Amino acid sequence: MIQKDTPIIELKNVNKFFGNLHVLKDISLQVHKGEVVVIIGPSGSGKSTLCRTINRLETINSGEILIEGVQIPEEGKELAALRSQIGMVFQSFNLFAHMSILDNMTLAPVDVLKMKRKDARAEAMRLLERVGVADQANKVPSQLSGGQQQRAAIARALAMHPKAMLFDEPTSALDPEMIGEVLNVMTELAAEGMTMLIVTHEMNFARRVANRVILMDGGCIVEESEPDTFFSDPQTDRAKLFLNSLNK
Amino acid sequence: MKPLSIRDMLYEEPGPKMRRQIGIYTILAFLLLAALIVAVIRQFVITGQFDSRYWYFFGRATTWRFLGQGLLTTITSALAGSVIAFILGFLLMRGKLRRNKLLRSISTMLIEFTRGVPTLLFIYFFFLVIPQTGIKMSAFWKITLPCAISACGVVAEALRSGVNAVPWGQTEAALSLGLTETRLFYKVVFPQAIRFVIPSLIAELVIVLKDTTFASIVTCADLMQNAKVLISNYDAMLSVYLVVAVIYILINYLLNKLSDRLAFRLRTGTAERNAA
Repeated sequence: MIQKDTPIIELKNVNKFFGNLHVLKDISLQVHKGEVVVIIGPSGSGKSTLCRTINRLETINSGEILIEGVQIPEEGKELAALRSQIGMVFQSFNLFAHMSILDNMTLAPVDVLKMKRKDARAEAMRLLERVGVADQANKVPSQLSGGQQQRAAIARALAMHPKAMLFDEPTSALDPEMIGEVLNVMTELAAEGMTMLIVTHEMNFARRVANRVILMDGGCIVEESEPDTFFSDPQTDRAKLFLNSLNK
Repeated sequence: MKPLSIRDMLYEEPGPKMRRQIGIYTILAFLLLAALIVAVIRQFVITGQFDSRYWYFFGRATTWRFLGQGLLTTITSALAGSVIAFILGFLLMRGKLRRNKLLRSISTMLIEFTRGVPTLLFIYFFFLVIPQTGIKMSAFWKITLPCAISACGVVAEALRSGVNAVPWGQTEAALSLGLTETRLFYKVVFPQAIRFVIPSLIAELVIVLKDTTFASIVTCADLMQNAKVLISNYDAMLSVYLVVAVIYILINYLLNKLSDRLAFRLRTGTAERNAA
């Protein structure tokens, strides 16, 4: 049974190594239903790796990762089924290059959720409408701008009706004028109550949308607080240093 | 969308001095080539290769029908051989990309074996060894199967390089949507891989087609074998070989054109197809 206070995503004492490099050091973290958690930190701090462990695109060496209180399976159909319930948006969009946007949208709903193609298409068009790229539905990804591709990628993840969404630096590969359109879509999603874990460098967005901001450095969570507290009254020296470096 | 030519990638834009030099060498090369052609034709005239007795039978429909039958066998054999090579190559590629160590090393061994052994040896095997085991096989398969086997290792490696060229992000995205590894291979990775390697696959088809000229060894009546029959009938070697060479060149030229077209269509055609 899922209790009301069971977090959607929970990490308990997670450790990960790349060879000798200790990239995640004893990370514990909870994301509750409807929460928007933003992870920030310098490059190489482990924030992307953390994000990717949650649907097991990265394996972990010790600790536990629970989705709605259930440990993520290690392989096979069970793992695939779990991944289908967690949306993921990548830095480099990763739309399937050989398919139209519409086919990108319907592949997993038809293949994994066994939806009827017609229904999947109808829903795909609704979602594309929502993120503002419905008029691009029949083009292939390379014909779209970066911002359009990323919005389509978000729509593709939404088509699976995920319980939570992971965003791994969704705007880092975009031209500056396209960042806004993607952040707007994400802001709307947050307002609709989607549970979200976002790795980003967009501080204004974090401040505006996050329920909680997490600062990572050297594989550790250095500071975890509400955005207003974090940005105006950081508690740790590391956080102060990080925020100072941004203002330069 | 026109890709850079090799020349554009290797050399910088030439300056005025260089352009003059290129011009001079182009003219020289052209003259040399012209001289060579003139010399060849002169030699032909001297030795009487243009005599009508070497050419008159090309005016007969039966000659062309005979060559046409051979050509048909050549094309069927090359196509069947390529299809078989593709299927075997695909299986070997799948085997080599498995995590299972045994399957992987068996596939690697077979790939290296088929790539390393000359086609002619496979043909002799099918021509001389297989009949001894009591297996009856038509001449057509005695040439088609060894050509296919000889090509399958190369096809496997070509397909594998295509699969490796598909960005890992495509796999990750498919995994994150809940596709299993098998499904994502067929739906996402392989369709893209094949687009990358179409030119090398067609190049291999050309090699299979050329390998089928060994068919006369197993007495299969392909284009080459029928050409040999014509040669002994009319005692006209050069003219027949010239005509047959032109036919082979034409086919392979068309295949290469097809490869360019196909590669381009597959890269850009998806959107149009869906819009229709």
